[in-house]
Amino acid sequence: MKRYFFYSITLGFAWCFVHGVINLNNFLIGMLLGPIIIRPFKTFYNFDEQLSYTNTIRRIPKQIKFLSILLIEIIKASVFVAKIILRPNLDLKPGIIAVPIRAKTDAGITAIANTITLTPGTLTIDVSDDKSTLYVHAIDLSDPKAVSESIRDDLEEYVLEAFE
Amino acid sequence: MGSILDILSNIFLMIGIFFVFLGMLGLLRLPDIFNRLHATTKIGTIGAFGVMIAIVLKVGFTPMGIKAITVGLFLLLTAPVAAHMIARAAHRHGVGLCKESIIDEYGKTYK
Repeated sequence: MKRYFFYSITLGFAWCFVHGVINLNNFLIGMLLGPIIIRPFKTFYNFDEQLSYTNTIRRIPKQIKFLSILLIEIIKASVFVAKIILRPNLDLKPGIIAVPIRAKTDAGITAIANTITLTPGTLTIDVSDDKSTLYVHAIDLSDPKAVSESIRDDLEEYVLEAFE
Repeated sequence: MGSILDILSNIFLMIGIFFVFLGMLGLLRLPDIFNRLHATTKIGTIGAFGVMIAIVLKVGFTPMGIKAITVGLFLLLTAPVAAHMIARAAHRHGVGLCKESIIDEYGKTYK
């Protein structure tokens, strides 16, 4: 029940944004329509797990910080790939490596997979069945150790803070 | 509407379109499907994002501007998921990596 309420609030805001006019009326319509949208997708979420409001709200500032870091990383990534594309002689060393991750929850794994895709030169292809390893395609793999270390040390710290 | 905002908006529009152009160039130049996904997801996202920022600067926080922000955020969330599904499906259907590739640790996990 708590989860229905919380997701409904989120969907209410989403409805406001999609509609383009943010006011109380639109928010309430979105919130009332929320449960109809949530019901068919219930199996994807872990509804048995207890959800506490304080914990969820406490993490919001960290998630905003994470989003701002993500934006900066995306700009860097685009410039990085743009430079490769504009090189007259494409001298690539691509490859797929396995990167062990520490995140345990589904939200954390999704967040880190998306972050890897949006950061310089790396693209998540799949997650292993036991959810402990990500398979990452890197466009420039002249130093595989450095790639997996930069994922573990730089990105994963923020993801763990924001979503675990 | 201030003219400074208009100029800024035009600059962002140029940046966005330039990045979209680079993305398409990458699609043509890079060797295999995985490298091409690098070009389309990252550069496509930032290109579309630049165009959306240009729209917001031009029209302000009107319904159209707010919709532009929403579209930008949705792109940010969905582009990586689409790239993951395309790459996974391609790899499992036997689309190989290009000749220059040096390592493939994914190939042996599902056979």
